[in-house]
Amino acid sequence: MSPTTARTAPAPASRPETEPALAGLWRVVVLNDPVNLMSYVVLVFRRVFGFDEPTARRHMLEVHEQGRSIVWTGVREKAEAYVFTLHQWHLTAILVPDEAH
Amino acid sequence: MRRIEVKLNLQVVAPLLDLMKETVGDLTGRLAAPQHLQDLDPELRAGWREELLQGQNDDCSRFLAMFDREFFSGGVVGFDEANAESVLRACAAIRLRLRDRELAGLADDALESGSLEAAQLTPRVQKAFMCYVFLATVQELIIRHLDAALLEG
Repeated sequence: MSPTTARTAPAPASRPETEPALAGLWRVVVLNDPVNLMSYVVLVFRRVFGFDEPTARRHMLEVHEQGRSIVWTGVREKAEAYVFTLHQWHLTAILVPDEAH
Repeated sequence: MRRIEVKLNLQVVAPLLDLMKETVGDLTGRLAAPQHLQDLDPELRAGWREELLQGQNDDCSRFLAMFDREFFSGGVVGFDEANAESVLRACAAIRLRLRDRELAGLADDALESGSLEAAQLTPRVQKAFMCYVFLATVQELIIRHLDAALLEG
């Protein structure tokens, strides 16, 4: 499944090709919000990341109970595309560097 | 293409339309959900925001388009794979804006459980709460009936 859905993330063309601060792995973190329905968040996770139902539900509950969940880790460009797609679905998502790598 | 049609109570839903339209108008040039894009390149951030706004506007337009002549004649609205995603996202956007603009004085728990003392709310807040609940119901209907189609999308 493509990381983007209805639209594509703006191409990060303006960024210099090599930028040490952006190298390495990045985490896509979804933050809790008190408005979006649990069933909606589960659907978005399944739609965007291709999670199966139990995985999507586990991440949704993590967001709900702990305030955040790391839903994906990988290279910056793809992480940006995922965050953009989550923003299209009105979830609050951020990019954070993966300190473990 | 699978399609579901829902017959709404015109007398209940039609009076909510003005506030939903007003909220959509309030979303012009404003993202429904706060986004934390500080560490993005400024040019990328501007393009990102612009594209999100365009998408939000398109989704809200498709949502409002459901309330057409068929709705006003018989209370029927239809969902299918062509509009379900947009309507789902528009409902989320409008609910988020309603929460911030109209329902800010209410506790999350009260909103979630619906345990509100209607008599203590102003007519405006009552209407906003009805919109909030209505939009959640639309989302649940779509998710329940078009889940498989959306996931294949």
